Amino acid sequence: MKLLKRLIDWIDVRIGVREVAEKELTGYLLPRTINVWYSMGSVLLVIFGIQVLSGILLLIYYVPDADNAFKSVTSIMNDVPFGWLIRMCHAVGSNMMVLVLLLHMFSVLFMGSYKSPREFNWLSGFILFTMVQGISLTGYLLPWSQLSFWATTVATNSANAIPVAGPYLVEFLRGSKLVGPPTLGRFFALHVALIPLGMAALIGAHLFFLKRTGVSTPPFGQADSTNQWKGGSYQYEDHPGGIPFFPNYALEDLRSVFIYLALFLAVVFFDPYLFFPKDAFLPANPLVTPAHIKPEWYFLANYQTLKIFPNELIGLSVQAVAMTFLALLPFIDRGRERHPLKRPLFLVCAIGGLLLWLGLSVWGHYS
Amino acid sequence: MDDNGRRKFLGICLGGMAAGLAAAFLYPVYRYLAPRTNSGAVAKVVIPEKDVLEGEAKFFEFAGSSAVLVRKKGGELVALSAVCTHLGCIVQWEKDKQDFICPCHGGHYTPDGVVTAGPPPRPLAKLPFSVANGAITVG
Repeated sequence: MKLLKRLIDWIDVRIGVREVAEKELTGYLLPRTINVWYSMGSVLLVIFGIQVLSGILLLIYYVPDADNAFKSVTSIMNDVPFGWLIRMCHAVGSNMMVLVLLLHMFSVLFMGSYKSPREFNWLSGFILFTMVQGISLTGYLLPWSQLSFWATTVATNSANAIPVAGPYLVEFLRGSKLVGPPTLGRFFALHVALIPLGMAALIGAHLFFLKRTGVSTPPFGQADSTNQWKGGSYQYEDHPGGIPFFPNYALEDLRSVFIYLALFLAVVFFDPYLFFPKDAFLPANPLVTPAHIKPEWYFLANYQTLKIFPNELIGLSVQAVAMTFLALLPFIDRGRERHPLKRPLFLVCAIGGLLLWLGLSVWGHYS
Repeated sequence: MDDNGRRKFLGICLGGMAAGLAAAFLYPVYRYLAPRTNSGAVAKVVIPEKDVLEGEAKFFEFAGSSAVLVRKKGGELVALSAVCTHLGCIVQWEKDKQDFICPCHGGHYTPDGVVTAGPPPRPLAKLPFSVANGAITVG
């Protein structure tokens, strides 16, 4: 311990780490009424870290070439020691990331934390959400299985509905008329380089906005749950008398991370193929379309929406409107009240929207 | 137990679990990254005798590394590792001079692998081989 103290002293006199720790950790105060939902962001950071790490490990054996991709993934699963574990962590982790991200977004919605002055936090988070969808979609193609190939064919084909530019856009997305080796090349580049870099940058921006605006106070357990922001000038929301981030809330974060890891590892070890339909185990065959090809669970509602409307353009437009509405929510919902039970219109819309999304997903699954 | 005591206990438990989990994952990651024994290696390589002409050399992959068969002027066969003993570059056969040169730092070897010039500290390693029914078996 004496040696550790001397080491910290040595560093401290040079770069003042104790001051940083005091300001960012022990002296960084959070509201006393903070709840478990505030730890979803930390869980997501851990998931992102696991995805990056397992992704880098997979890159060692994965071959991004249409003739060898499926073979290399099969080899990772069967020949490379613990390759199955690394791949399963990556595949299951991608699904869990979407799930936890949705929980994070719902908690922000229900606690009204997206309201002024947190428009930037919401927007950066929303763009991160679309990027997670993008990285999932591009990663789906990489094993070059029947499922990958045909799910990508269907997903990229949706752009065909856009008037005039649609057919060219589809070809541009694929790099060729049909999904093929050029598609694998560009999806690989997007999946392992462009989107992760963009996500890392946006995560940085998201945290920067959080630090500059301050953590919001939960609307629960207080007489006045309205938004206290006055506007007009920059104002950091501090929490005098609150609990320190370290060690108090850091431990809460860690607890949530471990609960997540328990669930995640339970799937990895006990039901690893939960997210794998049988077509995921067959190599891609551009001449044979399997029956009932379906996207991942989080795209089922989009898939079903496209099926409901007789015109694909209307189906796409409805989704675009819904996504735009959600992205611009802080600018649309200007009410000061943040408690969900005191916002009946919001509550009806939010629960209705959630049920609609769930209903469409279940319908999409069984249709 | 006061709040700080409980917090410290929770911290020790969670920290211990994190350390345990990290250790449990380090082993699979090490095994995942460790070179696989005999990966890409071939125990024996068979080369038709007619493929190695007098005064010429035939390079091939052997035991995960590079090797060379030389038929010296006069017909004697030699099997050598083609890895230069200086810094591991692959030597080249100079047919006109009937010797090996390492392109990296100019090491020279005789067809038997003996160093004649340059920095290599040791001769090229000799490989066991046998000739039967018109085929050379190395290894």
